[in-house]
Amino acid sequence: MNLRKLSIGFLLAILVAISAFPTGNGLPTGITDQNTTDTVIANGCTCHNTNTEATSSVIVNLTLPENFTSGETYTLILNISGGPNDLADGGNRGGFFVTASDGELSPTVNDTLVQKPFGFTHLTHTVDGNDYREWTFEWTAPESDDISVQFVAYGNSVNGADGSQGDYWNKQAITLYGVNAVIEIKTQNELSGPQKIIYAFAIIAVTLTVVVIGNRMVTKDQAFEDVLKGYWKSIYPWLTTTDHKYVGIMYICTGFGWFFIGGILGLLIRWQLMEPRIDGEFLTYEEYNSTFTMHGTTMIFMAAMPIIFGFANYLIPLQIGARDLAFPRLNALSYWLLPTGGIVIYMGYFTGGAGDVGWTGYTPYSSGDTATTPGTDFWVAGQIMLGASSTLTAINFLVTMLRMRAPGVTMMRLPLFSWSILITVFLLLLSIPVFTVALILLMADRTFGTLYFNVEAGADPILWQHLFWYFGHPEVYIVILPAFGVLSEIITTFSRRPIFGYTSMVYAMATIGIISFIVYGHHMFTTGADPLFRFIVMLTTMLVAVPTGIKIFNWLATMTGGSIVLKTPMVFALGTVITFTIGGITGIVLASIPIDIALHDGYFVVAHFHYVLVGGTIFAFMGGVYYWYPKMTGKMMNEKLGLLHFALSFIFFNAAFYPMHNVGLSGMPRRYATYDASLADMNEFISIAAMIFGISQLIFVYNVLYSYKNGEEAGDDPWDGWSLEWTTSSPPPHNSFTEIPTLKIAEEEKQ
Amino acid sequence: MSLIEDLIFFDNPSIWNDFGGTSSGFGGIVWQMFIWSVIVGVLVIAWLVYNLIYFRRKDGDPDHKDALKAGVFPHERGNTVIELTWTIAPLILVTWLTIISLAPLNYLWDVPEENETDLTVEVLAVQWQWIFEMPSNYTIPSEFTKCGGVDQDGNAMQNMAVTYNCLEIPHNSIIRFNINSEDVLHAFYIVEIGIKQDVVPNLQTLAWLDTSTVNPGEYNIYCAEMCGRSHSQMLAKLYITEAA
Repeated sequence: MNLRKLSIGFLLAILVAISAFPTGNGLPTGITDQNTTDTVIANGCTCHNTNTEATSSVIVNLTLPENFTSGETYTLILNISGGPNDLADGGNRGGFFVTASDGELSPTVNDTLVQKPFGFTHLTHTVDGNDYREWTFEWTAPESDDISVQFVAYGNSVNGADGSQGDYWNKQAITLYGVNAVIEIKTQNELSGPQKIIYAFAIIAVTLTVVVIGNRMVTKDQAFEDVLKGYWKSIYPWLTTTDHKYVGIMYICTGFGWFFIGGILGLLIRWQLMEPRIDGEFLTYEEYNSTFTMHGTTMIFMAAMPIIFGFANYLIPLQIGARDLAFPRLNALSYWLLPTGGIVIYMGYFTGGAGDVGWTGYTPYSSGDTATTPGTDFWVAGQIMLGASSTLTAINFLVTMLRMRAPGVTMMRLPLFSWSILITVFLLLLSIPVFTVALILLMADRTFGTLYFNVEAGADPILWQHLFWYFGHPEVYIVILPAFGVLSEIITTFSRRPIFGYTSMVYAMATIGIISFIVYGHHMFTTGADPLFRFIVMLTTMLVAVPTGIKIFNWLATMTGGSIVLKTPMVFALGTVITFTIGGITGIVLASIPIDIALHDGYFVVAHFHYVLVGGTIFAFMGGVYYWYPKMTGKMMNEKLGLLHFALSFIFFNAAFYPMHNVGLSGMPRRYATYDASLADMNEFISIAAMIFGISQLIFVYNVLYSYKNGEEAGDDPWDGWSLEWTTSSPPPHNSFTEIPTLKIAEEEKQ
Repeated sequence: MSLIEDLIFFDNPSIWNDFGGTSSGFGGIVWQMFIWSVIVGVLVIAWLVYNLIYFRRKDGDPDHKDALKAGVFPHERGNTVIELTWTIAPLILVTWLTIISLAPLNYLWDVPEENETDLTVEVLAVQWQWIFEMPSNYTIPSEFTKCGGVDQDGNAMQNMAVTYNCLEIPHNSIIRFNINSEDVLHAFYIVEIGIKQDVVPNLQTLAWLDTSTVNPGEYNIYCAEMCGRSHSQMLAKLYITEAA
């Protein structure tokens, strides 16, 4: 019976998903055309966007010498002909863009038609130059002539009318070999960077599957079907469970799974920014936009929030002494909406480009037709599903915490992690629906032709920003408050003394929750909104520092006079205190409008929110994994690996993100696929540190798997914590407690 | 060592120097922000390190009287005076920082009327370029040739009234920008000066610049609000030239 209801739930979820993207027609428009390198869909003539595909009727002809000798300078001629608008004369007839993978391109002396934009290596036409269809320029060969050089020329056939309507373009790629080059035949079908990664992972996954199943078949001497049946038997309970502990672990694993996928996307961003790259050298600009969009969306909605919900799922009933959440089946539905919604969001990658609107999805870009289609539709549809998931989960936690507390667990005796979740739940219920509504309006605009965000039809151009940030700022506290809860738990336990100022901790969190709804305008300081509105949100944003400061000082005061045990969870917690403090301080700097005007939408902001989100939420919850892993599995995690993981993470996190403050002050805007060459050193440093930071997370994965097999037995209360989850066995029995516990009180205990 | 120098020193946007006169240099808002940030950061880290040095558990240490016990809500610990101190002190600090943030705003947001300016430039942002238009009653000085291209003999030509991705404005003048968008959101960002204003379709936004506060020379204009594929190529040059 339960199974039937569950499957109805699934069907409904799938129906919602299907109805959410009627435009998801799955046409592979974009990325590659593997047969003809000359007509690959590239993004060369970007200011002429009417035709996103190259047109074969435009003939681009770059005249090159037979081969080249090192250091010599050659004169090259590029002409274009053909095209639907092959005008005989008249101004404004064409344009070009040419790149060489080596050597140096330069305009001929005193040439007014060709220019080399400052800080770049490519050549393009000047304003005067677009009255022509033939251009001459020079190329100086590189130092060595045993290599080959790749030239890519884009030509644009322009009809002379205003705007980009009726303009067509094409590109030509030629390889020029040095006189001493050993010519090797290159494969025709070049894969783009992300494709290579996807294929590589697919190959690894298939190989691993074959090895694991094959190994099982050989060693256990089982038939293929039997092996699969064996796996099915172990997976089936996970697929059908409504137990908060199982659902919680699934949430946590899914969250960290998406975290690693999002991390890979982050590393793609850093690889792109390793040096100032031209369009398509690694990622095309469109792919880059998709990459940071998916990175942001994944990390916030599919990594940070599920990890939080996972811990809450697992710990709330244990901490308040309940057997399960109030609505276990609703809990399972909330969970299953998460991977489903996530897959819908990622669908864009298989239909010619994932959503490229940024995680903020600002209209009118996201509601207009220049955003990727159907990638952005998938992005919207998946987000709606995730919104539904969070709302349902919030209701579940709220009811559980208000109605199902064990004897002795009064509101002011809840562990601080539970308190943080309770406040988070209110924030969720008040903010997520607003975002969901905004997304539904956006979906209607994109797919049903409504005009909620259509500026030409008279829509308010910043309506979306108000709706989005009314949700978006509480969202930031939704992901940081539970981290505060985790820190409070860990710091108390490992200082072996009660938290300093329990009551003020609770009030501080509640204050943050309330203020969070009236600060959102600080994301809109440069939009030209009402000055009074901007002043008020500047004041309230500054005020957030007060309760946050209280929390930090209370943690430090808890340690003072305690007897501190430095185990991995504690080390992570203290690292978080440092990185979060830095992130909090830069938050205050950004709250000051005159300073924010210069820094807004720049890398200083990127540094700030990575310090609070990675240095705050993710570090705290990694500490949380080390802290509660013994409770979840009954095994201790390996200390040495844990400390190594912390050391590498902490050092390379700071190495990667601290310099972003400087890059931001130098004026590098965020979401830029390329940048001024003067910042190349810093960006390279950041990229390398980010790669090491990413790789060092593999230690964490290894530790989790290794300790599951080889960890020491944990016992019920390995860290000497006080809250009720430590009174039950590790892992807890089927119904969480063999007998509903009663929370005792220290003052009464003594008498 | 340039990397380390880059990490320690930075070029601040030049408009920070003009924040209401009194706000510049020592005592100015940027300086105060910086110094308070350092004080708070150092305070937290120093306290943390102090705790780690003096309150580490050693083998055989007895438990405190109020040590934690599983299943028992611990003793309340706290001190109202201390807690009030670190509530009120930050409150005063952030109020102070808010107040000193206001003076530059009077300056930044006080955009001069069109008849009070030396030059009002119409800025139009489209995906993905900047179009600048000089007013019809403005005579472009003959030495303004940075955006004008070159004639057949190789001589620089005078700027036109409308220039693309290139803007040349006189030094020692009050310049007002009327900013409009033709399609989606953009942001008009003069990098080295630190002026940023969103470009909003259907809504004219304003920015202004007193060019006597900056050196003549070449500056970059970026688009700072994600606007699609070639967002990072939506660049323009700003030349501030000494007019004869």
